[in-house]
Amino acid sequence: MTYSIVARCPRTGQLGIAVASYSMAIGWYCDGAVRANTGVTLTQGFPNPRNNYLAINLLAQGHTAGQALADLIGNDPDGAYRQIAIVDRDNNAVAHSGAHLRKWAGHRIGKTFVSFGDGLAGQQVVDAMEAAFEAASPAGLDEQLLAALEAGRDAGGMAGAKGWLPERSAAVIVWGSRTHNEVDLRVDLHDRAINELRRIYVDYKPSIAYYEERARNPRHAIPAMEFADMLKNQRQKATA
Amino acid sequence: MTYSIIARCPRTGRFGVGSTTFSIACGRRNESVRAGVGVSKSQAFYLRYVDPLALNMLAQGYTPQHVMRTLQADDPDFDYRQFGIIDRENNVVAHTGPGCGKWAGHTVGPYYAAYGNGLAGPQTVAGIVSGFLKHPDAPLEDRLLEALEGGRDAGGQASKGVPRPERSAWIRVVGQLDHPEVDVRVDLHDKSVAELRRVLEEFKRYRDYYKARCTRPGEAIPEEEFAAQLDAKAA
Repeated sequence: MTYSIVARCPRTGQLGIAVASYSMAIGWYCDGAVRANTGVTLTQGFPNPRNNYLAINLLAQGHTAGQALADLIGNDPDGAYRQIAIVDRDNNAVAHSGAHLRKWAGHRIGKTFVSFGDGLAGQQVVDAMEAAFEAASPAGLDEQLLAALEAGRDAGGMAGAKGWLPERSAAVIVWGSRTHNEVDLRVDLHDRAINELRRIYVDYKPSIAYYEERARNPRHAIPAMEFADMLKNQRQKATA
Repeated sequence: MTYSIIARCPRTGRFGVGSTTFSIACGRRNESVRAGVGVSKSQAFYLRYVDPLALNMLAQGYTPQHVMRTLQADDPDFDYRQFGIIDRENNVVAHTGPGCGKWAGHTVGPYYAAYGNGLAGPQTVAGIVSGFLKHPDAPLEDRLLEALEGGRDAGGQASKGVPRPERSAWIRVVGQLDHPEVDVRVDLHDKSVAELRRVLEEFKRYRDYYKARCTRPGEAIPEEEFAAQLDAKAA
C-alpha cells in the first residue's frame, strides 16, 4: 500500500523519488536510496531494509540496473514479497513486482523512470503517475515527481479489502551532483499527506537558494526570520 | 536559529540526533548520522558538505578533534559555523563561532553535545541537557525527544527578544545496521516538537509490526487490520 516513482532527469542528471503510503513515515524507507552520479532505487511492498544500500553499492561498483535487480532478488528468500525499482546513471530503468504483493500491484517502466505500487485501486494509478511525470517534464524533476504523486492520488490511490485507504505519509527527494540531497521533504503522519507535502514544498522551494547563499556568504546574510517574513509578504501580495 | 542534541548511547552504542528549528524540514539533513561511524551535525551558517566530509574523516580513523581543526583550517568563515561531532569512542567536540549571533552556545558532555543559536539564552541549552539526562535508562530516541522538549520548555528560540516557533523537528537513531532504527520528522508545523512527540508515540505502536512485515512478510496481516486492532485496544 505504497505508490512511488523513482526517476533520473536526463537533462540534469538529478535523481529523485516521490512516494506516498498508508504506512507512516514512508520517507524512512527511502534512506540510502539515492547516491549522486550513481542511481536511485526503492524497495516497497513488504520492504527489505537492506535493499536500498545493496542496490546503490552494486551500481557504484559498476553493475547495471538489471544486474543489481537480479542480485537483490537472488539475495532475498522473500523476493516474492518485494517490489523494487532501480534507475542507474545510464537511464536503465528496471522493476520487479513480486507475486505475493497486495493487489493491485504492478509497475510501469518509462524511459528514465519507474512508477510502481502495491495495494492500489488499480493499474490506472501507475499509468496516471507515468503520464503526469512526462507531462510535467519542462518544470524540472521535483515538480515532475510531485505531479506524479498527485496524479496517483487522483487516480484512486490505494485500496484495501474494505475500500479506499488514505495516504498517511509521503516524501519527495531529489539529489544533484553533491554529497547531500537538494530536496528532501517528508510528511510522516497526516490525514492528507500528499496535500501537506505540496504545502511544505511550496514554502520550502524559494528557501533553497537562500540557505546556500547564507552559508557561502555568512557575513552578508539576511537573518532567516527576515527572509521568512519577506516570502510571506511576497505571497500575500501575489494572492491579493 | 536551531537547537540540537547529538549523542551516542553509552549502553547500546547507538548514535542519534535530535534537532528543531524555525526553518523548514531540518530533518532533510539526514547525511549527519552514519551507522558505525558517528554523528556530525552542523548548523547556524552551515555548509552542507561539512557533515558528509566530517563523517568520511571519522570513518577513515580521524578523531573529532582533528576533524574540527581541519574544518577550521579550510574555512575563512569558520566564525559563522556551529557544529557538534561525536565518534564511536565517545570523543565529542562542539564549536560555536562568535558570528553565530545571540544567543548561541554549546555544552559538551561525556557522550553528547547540546548546542543552538538564535536561542532565548543559555537556559535553552541547559534545558536540552536536563531533558536528556532525565531518564538515563530510556531508549535513546526517547531521551533525544525529552532533550528537545526540555529546550523548548526552557525558552527555545528567540530573535530580538521575541520568541520564535519551532517549525520543524527531527529525531534519527541508528544502530548496527545501515537502515536507521528511528527516523521521524515534522517538516512544517506551528508546534513541531509537540507534533514530533505525537509522531514518535504513534511510530512506537507500529514499530514491531513494521519490522515483522519486512523480515517475515508471509505472516504479516494487512496494515489496516493491524491499525484497527490498535484502535480497538486503545478504546
